[in-house]
Formats: sequence, C-alpha cells, structure tokens
Amino acid sequence: MRRRLPWIALVLVVGGALAIGTLDTGGGARSDEERAAHLAAGFRCPTCRGQSVADSDAPAAVAIRSQIDRQIDEGRSDAEIRDYVLSRYPRSEQVPPRSGLAGLVWVLPVAGVVLAVAGLAVGFRRWRVVADRRGASEEDRVLVERARRSS
Amino acid sequence: MNAALGTAGVTLGLAASVIGALTLAVGLRGRRAPLLRMGRSYAFLVLGGALLAAFAMERALLTHDFSLQYVAGNGSRSTPLLYTFASLWAALEGSIILWSVVLGGWLVAVVVRFRDRLSDPLVGWATLTMLVVAAFFFALMLGPANPFKEVAGAVPADGPGPNPLLQNHPLMAIHPPMLYVGYVGFTVPFAFAVAALVTGRVGEGWLTVTRRWTLVSWGFLTTGIVLGAWWSYEVLGWGGYWAWDPVENASFLPWLTGTAYLHSVVVQERRGMLRVWNLSLLAATFSLTILGTFLTRSGVLDSVHSFTESPIGAWLLAAFAATVAVSVGLIGWRGDRLRSPGRIDSPVSREGAFLANNVVFAAFAFVVLLGTVYPLVYEALKDEPLSVGRPYFDRMTTPLALTLLFLMAVAPALPWRKASGALLRDRVQWPAWVGAGAVVVAVAAGARGLAPLVAFGLGGFAAGGALRQLVLAVRAARRAGRPLSAGLVGRTNGGMVVHLGVVVIAVAVAASSAYSHSRTATLEEGESTTVAGHTVTYLGATTETDDRKATIRAEVEVDGEVRAPALHEFRNATQAIGTPSVQWGVVEDVYLTLRAAPDGEAGAATVGVLVMPLASWLWVGGGIMALGTVLSLLPGPRRRRPEAEAPAEVVAPVDEPVAPRADPAPVG
Amino acid sequence: MGATTTARAGVRRRPALWGAVAVGVVLALFVVVLATRDPATNRTVDSPLLGEPARALAGESVLDGESFDLRDAEGRWVLVNFFATWCEPCRKEHPQLVKFAQDHQVADDARVVSVVFQDQPEDVERWFRDNGGNWPVVDTDGEIVVDWSVSGVPESYLVDPAGVVRAKIVGGVDATKLDDLLRRASAQDEGGS
Repeated sequence: MRRRLPWIALVLVVGGALAIGTLDTGGGARSDEERAAHLAAGFRCPTCRGQSVADSDAPAAVAIRSQIDRQIDEGRSDAEIRDYVLSRYPRSEQVPPRSGLAGLVWVLPVAGVVLAVAGLAVGFRRWRVVADRRGASEEDRVLVERARRSS
Repeated sequence: MNAALGTAGVTLGLAASVIGALTLAVGLRGRRAPLLRMGRSYAFLVLGGALLAAFAMERALLTHDFSLQYVAGNGSRSTPLLYTFASLWAALEGSIILWSVVLGGWLVAVVVRFRDRLSDPLVGWATLTMLVVAAFFFALMLGPANPFKEVAGAVPADGPGPNPLLQNHPLMAIHPPMLYVGYVGFTVPFAFAVAALVTGRVGEGWLTVTRRWTLVSWGFLTTGIVLGAWWSYEVLGWGGYWAWDPVENASFLPWLTGTAYLHSVVVQERRGMLRVWNLSLLAATFSLTILGTFLTRSGVLDSVHSFTESPIGAWLLAAFAATVAVSVGLIGWRGDRLRSPGRIDSPVSREGAFLANNVVFAAFAFVVLLGTVYPLVYEALKDEPLSVGRPYFDRMTTPLALTLLFLMAVAPALPWRKASGALLRDRVQWPAWVGAGAVVVAVAAGARGLAPLVAFGLGGFAAGGALRQLVLAVRAARRAGRPLSAGLVGRTNGGMVVHLGVVVIAVAVAASSAYSHSRTATLEEGESTTVAGHTVTYLGATTETDDRKATIRAEVEVDGEVRAPALHEFRNATQAIGTPSVQWGVVEDVYLTLRAAPDGEAGAATVGVLVMPLASWLWVGGGIMALGTVLSLLPGPRRRRPEAEAPAEVVAPVDEPVAPRADPAPVG
Repeated sequence: MGATTTARAGVRRRPALWGAVAVGVVLALFVVVLATRDPATNRTVDSPLLGEPARALAGESVLDGESFDLRDAEGRWVLVNFFATWCEPCRKEHPQLVKFAQDHQVADDARVVSVVFQDQPEDVERWFRDNGGNWPVVDTDGEIVVDWSVSGVPESYLVDPAGVVRAKIVGGVDATKLDDLLRRASAQDEGGS
C-alpha cells in the first residue's frame, strides 16, 4: 500500500488540474464573427490549393467570405449556408462526410488499428501457449532435483 | 554549348548506370569478383555524369543562356544571384538533375565505404539496384523531362524568373537540397534490403549498415521537413506551418515508415526477430518516395507545389509499379525462408513497446496516405469529386500522436524481455511527476481545454522518460571514469535527445493549434487594435516599384517595434503575393500579414494579426532533433552482452551490435 | 530451438507469401486507379453551371449607369466575362473581347457583359476608355462571383439564346475560338443533338 501512495497522489494532482483546466469551456451560442470564421474554415479555397477559405485572400475566397457574412445577416442557418456554398463549389468541403463510400476514409484507419492490435494479441497468446507447452524438459527437471537435494 | 555539355553529362550517367548494372549482373550470375569490383568505377562515372549536367545547367542559369527552354522559363536577368543559383531546383526538369546528383553522391559513398567488400554479392546486388534506379532518372532526363531542350525559334532576351514564391526567402537555397539528400538517401537501405532478400543474408553485417545509413538519410529528411514547415510559415503567409498538402504528405510518409524502421531494427538486433517486417518497411519507405514524386509531379492532385503536368507522370507511375512489384515479389518469394522462429515474451517489455510503436507509425502512415489519395480513389469509383482537408488529418492523427508520446515516456524505462508491474512503476515514477508538473504549470498559466492539457502532460511524461535515461547514462559514464559527454552519445542516448526534440515540437504544435488568436482588422492610418494583449497600430504604407514587381509595405507598430508586412504584385501573377512579418518570441509569435492594400496612399489597410503561442519552439525542437541525430551517430560506449543483463539492474546505455549471430546459410 | 518447422504450404506456415499477395493485389488496383486519373487542371474546366440555365446576373453598369439584366438578353448569345483591371491575363484577353463584340455588333446575335469584383470604379472606367469596349460592366460585392462558381479571373461563360450555359473558358478568350464555339453549339441545337 505504501508503494501505491505516490501514485494515488499523482492521480489526484493530475485529475485536479485537468478538472480545473476543463471547467470553463465557455459554451453558449457563437457570435456571428465566430460562426463566419468557423464556416469559412470548413471550405477549401477554390484557387489557392490547400488553404481554407478563412485563410486565403484569393478573390474567390474573399467573395465566399462576404457571401457567408451576408447570409448570416439574413438569418440563414449554418446548414443552409454550407449547402449553398457546396452547391456552387462542389469539391470544396474540407472534411468528407461520415457515411457511405466517403465515410470509409474515417473507418478504414480505425479498423486497421483494431485488426493490428487483435493480430498482435493473438500472436502473444500463441507465443505464450507455445512457451507453456514446452515447459521444462526432462533434463532440466533432473538438474533442478539434483541441485535441490544437494543444497 | 551548355545544352551539349548537359546532354553529354546525362548520356554519360545513363550509359554508366546501364552498363554498370549489366556488368554487375553478369558478375553476380557468374560469381566473377573482378566484374563486381568494377561497380566502383561505374558509380564514379554516374556521379561524374550527374555533376557535369548540373554544372552545365548552373552555367546556363548564371550566364542567362536563354537558348535553353528551362532557363527561358525559369531564369531572369533581374533575379538575385542566390535565387538564380537555386533555380536549378525551381522547376521539374532541374530538380531531376538535383536528384541524380544526390543519388550519384550516395552511390559513390556506398562503393567507397564498402571498397573492401565489393566482391561480396550482397554489396554487388545493392550497387546493382542503385544503378538501376539511377538509370531510370537519367532516362527521365533524356525523355519526358529533358532540362536541356532548346528553345524553338528566336532566343528570348529575358525570362520571367522563377515563381515569385521561390524568390522570397534564402531558405529556398537550403530546403530542397536537404530534403533531397534525405529523400534520395532512402535508396541505399532499399538497395541493401533487395540485396538481402536475393542473397538470403539478413544477419549481422547487413543490419548495422542499413541502420546507420537510414539514420543519416532520416536526419536529413527530418531537417528538410522542418525547414519546409519554416518556409511555409515565414514565406507563404497563411499563418500556419503545416497544411497536410499532398507535397508535404509526400515527404512525411517515408519519414513515418523510416522512423518505424529505426525502432523495429533494434528489435531485430536484439532478438533476431521482425526481419521480414523490417525488409518490408524499407521497401515501403523507398516505394513511398517514388509514389510521392509521382503524386506531386503528375498533376493528379492539386497542391501548392504543383508543377505543370507532363508525360513524366506515366513514367513515375510505371517506376512505382515496378518498385512495388519487385518488393512484393521478393518478399513473397523469399520472405518465409528468412523468418526467425523467435518470440516476444511479454507485451510489457521494450520489444513490446517497439512493436506498439510500429503499429502506431504504420497507422499514422496509413492515415496520411489514405487521406492524400482517397479523393482519387473515390472519384474513380463514383465519378464525383471529394476533398479531404486539414481537419481530417488533424482529427485522425492527434490520438496517434498522443499514443506515441506515451510510448516515448514508457519505453526507455522498460527492460528487455519482460517487466514486472512493480519494476515499471518504480522506473516511470519521476517522469510521471514531470508530466503532472507540466499539467499543473499549464493550468496555472491559464491553459484550458482537455486535448492540449493531455498533450502537455504526456509531453512532460515523455520528456521525463528521456531525461531519466540521459541522467542514468551520464552517471554511468562518470562511474566508468569517462567524460560527461560519453553519456550523451551513442544510439540510445542520441535517441533520447531526439525524443526531447519531438516533445518540444509536440508541445509547440499543441499550444499553437489550441491557443492562437487571430483578428483581421481594417485600420486607418494611426488606428490601433488589440489582439491577445498586443497593441497593433497601422502607421501607413509605402509603395516601391521595380521592373519585377510592385511592393506595398505596410508599417505596423507592435509593442513598440515597427514591422513591415508586405504585398508584392508581380508582373506575371494574377494574385498579389504576401510576405508576412513574424516577430519571434519565446512565449508567442506575433504574425502580421497585409491582407488588402490600402486604397490609395492614405487609405485604410486590412491587416491580419495572428498570435501563435510557442511557435518558435517548433524550430528549436527541430534543431534538437538534428543534434540528437548527430549524437546518435557518434560512437557510444561498448555494448554488454544481453545475457548479462538482469531486468532489475540499471544498465549502461548500449550501442554497438550484440555479439555476432551466425548468418543463416545463404539461400540459393 | 524446438521442432523444426516443416515446409507445409498453408497460410499460417507462409505468412510472408500470403501477406505479399494481399498487398500486391491492393497495390495493383491502386496503380490502375492512378493510371486512369485525369490531371487536376483539366477539372477546372468542369463547372456545375454547364448545361444548366444561367444564374441571375443583374446590376448597374459601372460605365454608364444603365441597368442590365441577363434575362433581358434572351434570344441572343451572351458572353459573361469575369474580369479585373489588376489581372494581367484579363488585360491580355481584352482586345479579343472587343473584337468579338464588334464582329457580332451588326447581326446583334451576341453580346458581351463583364463582371468586376474588388476593383475601383475609376480604374474600370479608365481601362475601358483607353482600351475600348462599350458593353455593360456590372460590379459585385461577391454575390455574382459565388453564384456563378467562379474560382478566379479571367473566366468566361457562354450563354445561349435560350439562357443555358454552354461553355466555360478559363484563362483568356480568343475571338476566333469563341466564334467556333458559337457555331458548334448552334449546329448542335439545330441537329437536335
């Protein structure tokens, strides 16, 4: 028990710090500016390759941002704005959907890791079974007996 | 004259590599040592040909010989000297010249290093493989990517110069060559892997060689990647250092599999296991370099780096297919006979930790590869476009990165073979306290949010683990009467320093991703805005015009210092190119961009302000990683035989390979 | 060392071979996929507008204040040109637009309309004054740019007399090529493609 004490203390310290650290995560409705920035970051800039609409200053990106701002002012929802931008720039969504064939891109890596870990687990079990089965050979037993008797 | 010289160089290189490969093939088939030894001369000829071509191209660029299409498209009289020199690798054809020079260099290094073993079939096969690869690149230069093609018609008087983005920063002169030395360098371990598969010799000698050479290439590649991130941050002006752009991913993928190899090869040295897996990793690393080159040069993917598409895509794809076919074929044919019957006793052991490391790195590489090529696969199947952007990569790689931090913390404390829970708990105790301390300090400093705090905690834990190992090594060195520094060199200790560098980078990434503040403000002259405690005042703008571009510089005062982000309007570009102004700080960087020029001299300017905490730690971390790589390569203390180790005893860090194991009889 | 492994063929006995086969098959398929892809730049010529009725385009001309609406032009071909005075290729293609407009002035079967974005009205006026062209030039705050899925300038769209977008031209127009497009598209309509 005494050896475990420092570990209990550690868990308490870290837990406490994390609790404080994750307490006030703000929450609540986003401001218009935040909504605009968040929406813009979800689209890829049509011309500049690799930058999001929020980051880029290409004319197309600036135009899209101004449209997002206008539609937020008009009161449209995030989903409606996203649909509109996608209807005009079909390849620009930064993140593929979670379902269907596109969703595979989310599923495959996770499946891969699960398979690999399962494979390793099977491997370890088989190695242990082999080791147990081998056990001690007859010569080893005789050796040990002799040593025990002589000590 | 330059065209003739250059073409002569390329032809020499091609001839030398083809004839050299044939000579070695005959020598290997008939086991004729004199033929095998000739491999050395051919290697030198290959390097000579490449250097001649490079010299010819540089001469053409520096003398503004616009009769060459490459110079006409990339050179200009008004480009400064350094960038004219660097325009050798500014575009596709020239960069292949650089590739062949670097490959020639590695070839010569191999034949010089192994000059006493040239008649050994292992070395023979490796040299043969490298010559075949060299032949491919020279063939590219005589075929679809000819840098010495002459201009049809009248010779222009001047050229447009390299892409404006490539003239902005002296890093342009260092980043590509560094990257290439590392990238191309992976050809060497691949060649030895092929040689090992063909000759069936996967034992001692092959192992040490490939490990050290891979480490050197890996070190250069790491530095090249970090420099690329720095360039992205300082030059491109979008306020970030990594966009998961296909070209960035192309350089990152071989780094991931290379790192996995550097760890699992230690298991092979110690326990003789994972031979075929290591061979596969080396084959994968090299194949990824070819695939990466294909993806970025063929134009199938949009990218910031995209060169124009050309028939080179088909050639590179063919090279990738051939590389994969050879690797898969050899492993399928030979692999099972080379497998070792060993086993790993327990998952809670250093072998177990290295296995876990490999699983995570393999998953990491899979995620990056999948995300990069999935748009192509999806489009092939559904005929609809799909894009996979930064948020995907960030989300999928974060848990993997955190797992790696955890492994980095725990693995140095794990003994080989088997560990009891009690032993492990003792050893990781004070690193765990370092991790806890990191979380407490971060929370006390105001950091909030679960993900970054977990990252800080694990980072501290990992740093503690590495430091513990270093402290023990230094103490052991003192006890043995050696200088302090002996505790810092050698594979394990150097590796711990590299881990420290990784932790610094991980913490920097976590902080700059989670806690950055940004604001875009349109300011009149004299107007200020405040971002994260920094007062930013727009003072005015100046415009300079020269024959290349018009530059609008905005003077912005931040915390008392005047900085000047700028916009350049180049004559041949449709969009203005921004130059950010970055104010480095230990705690945070203040990153300024001029997003929209003022209307007229006295108008309002749109200034972007980005405050990035700990961003400068990225470059410090990169430097530490480079230092650690150098330390790793320096000779360390002699290794004790592994049988002499008791699990509970603290061992002096070991470096040199174990007592030699007998090679299995060469197969076939 | 334990019992020697007999060389029985079977998945468990020869994992390297079966692993290699599996990996080989996947990679072969992958290579096939890569080999059949079009270069990315070709995709820029695709557009969700092609074959669809043209989107809204209306506004006041910067040059003379007259209002313009694309729907009023029905019955004629319209070349919608997205343009900016600070864009070098736009400036280069301008004479071709002037030529195209002049060629079709008599028959009045085709018109040009330009859309500018992020440009100063004075600069636009000056440009048209110095370089010719008397068609409507509509300014936009971005709405028309986004509505027409424009990625950059210059981009031009050819709208047929029925109001359907028939072609997208990126990177600079050529008057002769435009006429060709016009002729081919008309022939297609008449032939009842």
